[in-house]
Amino acid sequence: MIELAHVSKVYRQKKRSIEAVKDASLHIRKGEIFGVIGFSGAGKSTLIRCINYLEKPTQGEVRINGVDLGSLKEAELRAVRRKIGMIFQNFHLLSSITVFENVAAPLRLVKAPRQDVNRKVRELLALVGLEDKELMYPSQLSGGQKQRVAIARALASDPEILLCDEATSALDPQTTDSILDLLLEINRKYNITIVLITHEMHVIKKICDRVAVMENGEIVEQGRVLDVFSNPQKPITQNFIKSIFDVQLPEQLLQKIRSDSVSGRLLQISFIGESASEPILANLATRFTLRPSILYGNITQIKDTTFGTLVVRVTGDDSSIEAGMKYLAEQGLRVEVIAHVGRLD
Amino acid sequence: MLVDWINEYLNSFREYGDLYWESTLETFAMVGYALAISTVIGLFLGVVLVVTRPNHIFSNPIVYPILNVVINILRSLPFIILLFAIIPLTKFIAGTTIGVKGALVPLVFYTAPYIARLMESALLEVDKGVIEAYQAMGATRTQIITRVLLKEARPGLILGITIATIGLIGATAMAGVVGAGGLGDVAIRFGYQRWEPDVMITCVILLIVIVQTVQSVGEMIARRLRKR
Repeated sequence: MIELAHVSKVYRQKKRSIEAVKDASLHIRKGEIFGVIGFSGAGKSTLIRCINYLEKPTQGEVRINGVDLGSLKEAELRAVRRKIGMIFQNFHLLSSITVFENVAAPLRLVKAPRQDVNRKVRELLALVGLEDKELMYPSQLSGGQKQRVAIARALASDPEILLCDEATSALDPQTTDSILDLLLEINRKYNITIVLITHEMHVIKKICDRVAVMENGEIVEQGRVLDVFSNPQKPITQNFIKSIFDVQLPEQLLQKIRSDSVSGRLLQISFIGESASEPILANLATRFTLRPSILYGNITQIKDTTFGTLVVRVTGDDSSIEAGMKYLAEQGLRVEVIAHVGRLD
Repeated sequence: MLVDWINEYLNSFREYGDLYWESTLETFAMVGYALAISTVIGLFLGVVLVVTRPNHIFSNPIVYPILNVVINILRSLPFIILLFAIIPLTKFIAGTTIGVKGALVPLVFYTAPYIARLMESALLEVDKGVIEAYQAMGATRTQIITRVLLKEARPGLILGITIATIGLIGATAMAGVVGAGGLGDVAIRFGYQRWEPDVMITCVILLIVIVQTVQSVGEMIARRLRKR
C-alpha cells in the first residue's frame, strides 16, 4: 500500500545542511493503523509529509499502490493526493468559510455536482457528530470539534489513506480519546489505512496495529505494537514505554528488599492476552514451596489485547526459585529478575 | 461677534458653493479612477510578491527580488517628485500631463506599489498550514491563490485598501499643481494664495469628513468579513 524505500530528506541552509530523515524504510499495509512515535525534532513530521510529497525526499522512493510519486507530473500527483486525506495538529481550517464549506472544500476543488456535495457533506458531518454545526464558523467551535471538521474534510474525497500529523497533540485527554475512537471507527468502517505521528505513547497504545520509533531522523525500531512494547530493544523505546508501564520501584524500597534477612528474588512477570488463566502465585507457593508477595501490579490494554505486569517478591531457596521461574515461562509469561532479595549487589 | 463670523462664513460658503461641489467631484473622480486601477495592479503585484518568495507556491529567485526592489524604488519617491519625474511617461501613457487625466498616471504609479505592499502584508498573515492543507487535498496553485490566500485575507485586504484610499486622497491634493483640480487645489489657491481662511476651513472640514467616512466604511466591511 504505502512503501518508503530508503527515504532521506536533507534541508540545505546557507552553510550547513540538516538531515531530517535518514534512510527510512517502511511498508504500511492496507487497512492498518500505523503509528510513528518520536520526540519533537525526530523527523516524524518530515517523514509523514514525504508520504504525500508535501516534502519531496532528497533520496529514496515513496510508492503508493506501487506508483512511485517521484515519477509523477504535477497534475498526476494532485490526483494521488486527492486519495490521501490529511489532518493536522492545528486543524488548518479556513476561518472565513462555514463548517459546511470547509468539509465541502475537496469536492469544490474538483467542481463536484451540487447534490453530491450536499449529500456527502451531510453524511460526513453526521459521521463526526456535527450535523447541527454546519452553518457555524470554525472560530465558534472547540478544539475537538475543529478536529472533527478537519477529519470530515479529509474524508470528503473518499481517500484510501488518512495521514494524521500530531492530530491529538493540541487536545485535552478526554477529547484525544474521543478523536482516537473516531479514527478507529473510520478505519474499521471504511477500511482506510491510517498513518499517524505522535509523541504520545497513549495514542500508539490505543489505536495502532504497528509502530515505528524515530530518533534523530532514523527509524530505530518497528514492528507490531505488542511486540515492540513487550520487548523494547532501544533505550528510546524503553523510555517511551516507561511512561505507561512504570515499574521503577522506589529506591528506598529496593534497599529494604536487598537488605532483607531472608533470601529470594524480585521478579517482574509480564503477560499478554489471557495467558494467565492458572492461579500462578498460588501454584508457586504450593508446588514450589515459595513465598510470593505482590509489590506492584498493572494491567493495560494495547489496542485489543490486554498487557499486564506484576512485580513479585519471591522468597525461598535458589533451586526452587529457578524451578518456579521455569514454570512461569512455561505458562507463556515473561519473567525477569529485577533484584535479589537479601543480597546487596 | 461669533454671529458675524458665522454669517460671513455662510456668505463665503454660498459664494463658493459650486466650487466646493465641483472640486469634491474632481477629488472623487481622481481617487476613484486611481484607486480602481491601482487596486487591480497592486493586488496582482501583492500576490506575486507573496507567492514568488522562497518556499512558496510559485517561488522564483528572479521575479521576487527584482519586483521587491522596483517597488521599493517607487515607494521611495514622494508624490510631488514622482509627479514631475515621470512626466515623459505620463505623456506617453495618457497623452497629456495636465488635468485629471494627466494626474491619473502619477497617482497610479504612487498608489499601486503602496497597495502592493499592503496586500503583501495582509496575504502573509494567512496561516501557511492552511495552504499546506489545501496542497495536501490536491488543490492547484491557482486554486490556492483564489480559494485560500485571497479569501482568507479579505479583512486585511479591505483594511489595506482603506489605508491606501486615504493616502490617495492626500496625494490628490498635490495634483492641483498640474491643473487636475480637487479640494486640495482649492485649499491652496483660494485658502492660501488668496488668503481666504473660510475656504481653507471648508476644505479641511470636507477632507476630514471624507477620510472619516472612508475609514469607517472600510472598517465596517472588514469587521463583517472577519469570522474569527
